[in-house]
Amino acid sequence: MSATFSDTGSFVDDVSVAASIEGKSPRQLAWMRFRRDRFAMVAAGVVLFYVVVAALAPVICAVLGISPYELNSDALNDFGLPDGPFGGISREHWLGVEPGTGRDILARLLYGARVSLLVGFVGTLLTTTLGVIIGVFAGYRRGRVDAVIGRVMDLTLAFPSFLLIIALTRPFTQRLESLGVPEGNPARLTYIVLVLATFGWVYVARVVRGQTLSLREREFIEASRASGAGTGHIIFKQILPNLWAPVIVIVSLSLPGYVATESTLSFLGLGMLPPAASWGVMLGDSIKYYRADPTYLFIPGTALIILVLAFNILGDAVRDALDPKADRQSIS
Amino acid sequence: MTKRRIIGAVSFALVASLVAASCGGDSGSDGGGDGEPKKGGTIRILSSGEQIAHLDPQRNYTGTDLAFAGSTMHRSLTSYKYEAGDAGSEIEGDLATDTGTVSNEGKTWSFTLRDGITFEDGSAITCADVAYGVSRSFATDTITDGPSYAVTYIDVEDYPGPYKATAEQQAAYDKAVACEGNTITFNLKNPVADFNYTTTLLTFSPVPKASDTGEKYDMSPVSSGPYKIESYEIGKALVLVRNENWNEDSDPLRKAYPDSIIYEFGLEEATIDERMIADVGDDQFAVAEGIQPENLQTIFEGDEALKSRAIDYYDPYVSYTNLNNERLSCYEVRKAIYLAIDRDALRKAGGGPYTGDYADGFVKPALALDYAQSTMPEGLNEDGTANVEAAKAAVAEAETKCPDVVKLAQDGMNFYYPDTPVWQKALAIWQSNMEAIGFSIKPEAVEPSNYWPTVMNPETEYDIVRGGWAPDWANASTVIPELFTTGGGFNLTRNSKDPDYAEFEGLVNEARVNLDRVAQGKQWQELNQYVVDRLWALPGTFLKSQSIWGSKVGNTFQWGPFGAFCFGNLYVK
Amino acid sequence: MLLFVTRRLMFALALLLAVSLFTYLLFAMLPSDPAALTCSKNCKPEIIEANRIRLGYDKPILEQYWLFLKGIFVGRDYGVGQAAFSCPAPSLGYSYGQHECVTTLIARTFPVTAYLSIGAFILWMTLGISLGSIAALKRGRWQDRAATTFSAVGVSLPTFYIGLLVLFSFCIWLRILPFPSYESPFVDPKSFFLTMLLPWLTLAVLSAASYTRLTRNGMLEAMNEDFVRLGIAKGLRRRTILRRYVLRSALVPIVTIAGLDFAALLGGAIITESVFSLPGMGRMSIRAVVDSDLPVLVGTTMVAAVFIVLANVIVDIMYGVLDPRVRTK
Repeated sequence: MSATFSDTGSFVDDVSVAASIEGKSPRQLAWMRFRRDRFAMVAAGVVLFYVVVAALAPVICAVLGISPYELNSDALNDFGLPDGPFGGISREHWLGVEPGTGRDILARLLYGARVSLLVGFVGTLLTTTLGVIIGVFAGYRRGRVDAVIGRVMDLTLAFPSFLLIIALTRPFTQRLESLGVPEGNPARLTYIVLVLATFGWVYVARVVRGQTLSLREREFIEASRASGAGTGHIIFKQILPNLWAPVIVIVSLSLPGYVATESTLSFLGLGMLPPAASWGVMLGDSIKYYRADPTYLFIPGTALIILVLAFNILGDAVRDALDPKADRQSIS
Repeated sequence: MTKRRIIGAVSFALVASLVAASCGGDSGSDGGGDGEPKKGGTIRILSSGEQIAHLDPQRNYTGTDLAFAGSTMHRSLTSYKYEAGDAGSEIEGDLATDTGTVSNEGKTWSFTLRDGITFEDGSAITCADVAYGVSRSFATDTITDGPSYAVTYIDVEDYPGPYKATAEQQAAYDKAVACEGNTITFNLKNPVADFNYTTTLLTFSPVPKASDTGEKYDMSPVSSGPYKIESYEIGKALVLVRNENWNEDSDPLRKAYPDSIIYEFGLEEATIDERMIADVGDDQFAVAEGIQPENLQTIFEGDEALKSRAIDYYDPYVSYTNLNNERLSCYEVRKAIYLAIDRDALRKAGGGPYTGDYADGFVKPALALDYAQSTMPEGLNEDGTANVEAAKAAVAEAETKCPDVVKLAQDGMNFYYPDTPVWQKALAIWQSNMEAIGFSIKPEAVEPSNYWPTVMNPETEYDIVRGGWAPDWANASTVIPELFTTGGGFNLTRNSKDPDYAEFEGLVNEARVNLDRVAQGKQWQELNQYVVDRLWALPGTFLKSQSIWGSKVGNTFQWGPFGAFCFGNLYVK
Repeated sequence: MLLFVTRRLMFALALLLAVSLFTYLLFAMLPSDPAALTCSKNCKPEIIEANRIRLGYDKPILEQYWLFLKGIFVGRDYGVGQAAFSCPAPSLGYSYGQHECVTTLIARTFPVTAYLSIGAFILWMTLGISLGSIAALKRGRWQDRAATTFSAVGVSLPTFYIGLLVLFSFCIWLRILPFPSYESPFVDPKSFFLTMLLPWLTLAVLSAASYTRLTRNGMLEAMNEDFVRLGIAKGLRRRTILRRYVLRSALVPIVTIAGLDFAALLGGAIITESVFSLPGMGRMSIRAVVDSDLPVLVGTTMVAAVFIVLANVIVDIMYGVLDPRVRTK
């Protein structure tokens, strides 16, 4: 996928979108196609739900009378495990309590969604913006500019990114703090987002560059150029609209990848600092309790799967909707 | 994982001599009814570590490593007896025929080597080999991490170790550690009444000069014990097989039951527990130190068969919290902090009662002569929960006495912690507890491997730092002075500017030279109380550890001095 | 053609040089003092200083880098007197944590990583391409949805979570596989196979997810290509069209990416190796991070970079062979 910094997949970019740029499909047409896809509508609803719930986390917690930080020692038995079946699910704690501290899991899940979605959205936004700008630039200008950018991309790709991300977390977080980023989690979040963008833009840029290269030779671009359109017009009005489809697919794929990266860092003790909650922190913590508290094990995992599934369906649907040839299936 | 957590954290202190039985624990739970120990088979040790910290005898220095290497590969001049309970803390001649002869008012010690002692190539171990081994300890830039007793005690100045020594320097060393036939004599700078306990350390193991590869010797040390290395791959396994040249008659201690011992490295902690619980195949012959807190309930409150394969015991460590007394220079503030901590919650986060008991000082009851119950600060809840009311009262008192310090505590105290999951949870508890009395915590996460170097750095501006310690000796002289005097090796309290410090140091020095052991014990008891009364550091827990073994392993007692299995004497049932 | 290959190789070399310099400078910024870490916490400042000199950390960073580079070609010597030893060329330095030359360490751990990568690669390509083809052919039906769901689960869950779940499922809950305990395939093939099965599966599930999507989308694109429609118009059999034109054209870019992915994996599958206790290069490198073992960190980074750069060169050259236009560009 465009940039999941895990053991695999770091080189996969979605080449398949290459052909979807032909012609410019009217927006209404795409929207119509999209609305017809019931799966997509459900998926969009799910994503919207997550975003709303994350945004309103403090309100929801206040209404339910729970807190992601409050310790509930009484909800634990002598061994520090939740007292009661199914991870201590009760009227007060709808999803049970965290082993060791007794913090409310629902509250932590809600607050954790904020961190995870933030990393996902901001990381994706930054990566995509950088990638598109550089990619279009390289593809449109070609020649020396393209060559230089190409070499920079080669260099970035040559690093084992995941290892570097891990090794550099502490020194770079400290550096960020000394540069004035608030200490602690803001610095760690900034680092994660920046480092994702540093290694991630290449994957976007490669796809976008290729698209731009082929687009700028197309007849309709030639035509606008011939009719006296400026570079700005060609880039913004002719080329960018045709990059929507591939970019959306990249976004739908990289977002979950970033959430996964954040959680892996947390698993390694390099993610959010306590007492902050993130899905990554919860995933990393819960895996230890596969025997003692399986309920806890499945809650953050399930929340993550549902979100990612929704995003994938959404990405596919948008891609299909934007694909002008989608209705012309001639085989299968 | 209590044990692994603690060892990783406090490897600083060595457990050399400690009476285990008085700790309680059910160290007698094993053995009995399983028939006589017999030879043969393979014992496995499951470990999450990537390697044995040091297999080089002069660099080997923590409880489990000493117990392992000493009981399998490296013989020293003397050794603790290979027995459970009290007897395990008594010493006996190992390479030496007896526990040594002292003369010159405690400044000269000599040991006579046994006949028939050999290295793994069959060559005889001579006095020169032992002297050479000891001399390696002095090469502190190459032979790192080992105990420094030899360097401190032996009467030789500016000796850089055998690799760099000039002829004169070497001659000076050879005079201080003299060989006469098979008798080795150590001339010490000062009297050391129990030097023969020091010689149980592998610092006093022989090394054949011709095979010494310096830094690289760690991977292929020459065996003087019943086992030798067949293969050693960091991150994978250490395989020991019988050393055919070991002469059983020359060794009164080691029984050498199994034919081979496999030390498996790099396992996930969760996997270790699961394998031990499952007890299938080769794992029936395995032992593992440390159990994850989340599995304690399964193992100790579950079925009897499982419980009978595990032990819950007091290890030699005490955990506590250091406060920076230069910054938190006001007793009431320190007291407020102590009263506000929910020790019960911290204990639950670490595995509940299996973490250990609330400590009432820094000397464990195991040091029977030096321990007395302390009077704790007024208002401290006995059940370990926070006493927020009393803590707030202390804050109010401090407001009038030392408003600056209160302000510092409210603005944020620098809390240095190793960045591990266990400590992240502990931090969350601290944060919430301090908030309850209006104080706040500024977390400073430190890379675990860098934790001690960071906080030991005098320039690090911490307020709160963890601590953990085990006595080097069955004498609180290896505890109180080490932790609370400026000359101590592990004093993180920065208490030297405290108005009472001068008096305290005077009392410590008096106690140190007191040769009446019982009277000295009384002095240590009073000094322990002295520190508790001032709260230079906050007593935490008298720690416990848990270990588990497979259903076909015998002799699984915990060896008192080391708080570890007596690895060399395990046998296959 | 020869000129093209030479140029690519020269460039790859320059790239590696740049990578190594970058790596060195980056790691020089790490806050931990490697000299302090060579001796225990109670050691004196003099000892730390002596170690710093012995390890060469007292020298300016660029000189250290030069010594490192030189070591690759002529080897390096360490220590004095009887304690002296050397790491022969190609030397990537010496690890004081592991008491071994870094080159030796990598030579020992690399095969494990290679076995892991090769097995996983075969599995994930098979799985990904088959699922992707099915999804494309049954577009919009339940098979397609199932494949999408599968790939979503694969990309969404972090490696450690899937790995540990798989481990617990097969070794604890179902008890159908023994706990992983790595053994060389030449010593004990059965144990090797049983140990590697789950890590292969884990990596395969993770990557197959991406490849399922790639194949699906690639095939859908290809089905719309003019040459396919021409084939249909000509009345070729459906199977022939699918096999000869659709799948093939969809596979070309996938194979390229797979090559690069495979190369990246050879640099060490950090999490997978850790979860399954495999003594591979990835796990060694993460330990090096934890222990601040700089020589190992630099060494593994370099080796990983070599694989990635090499794969890039091979891909480029292949393109050059397949497409003459690239050569003249």
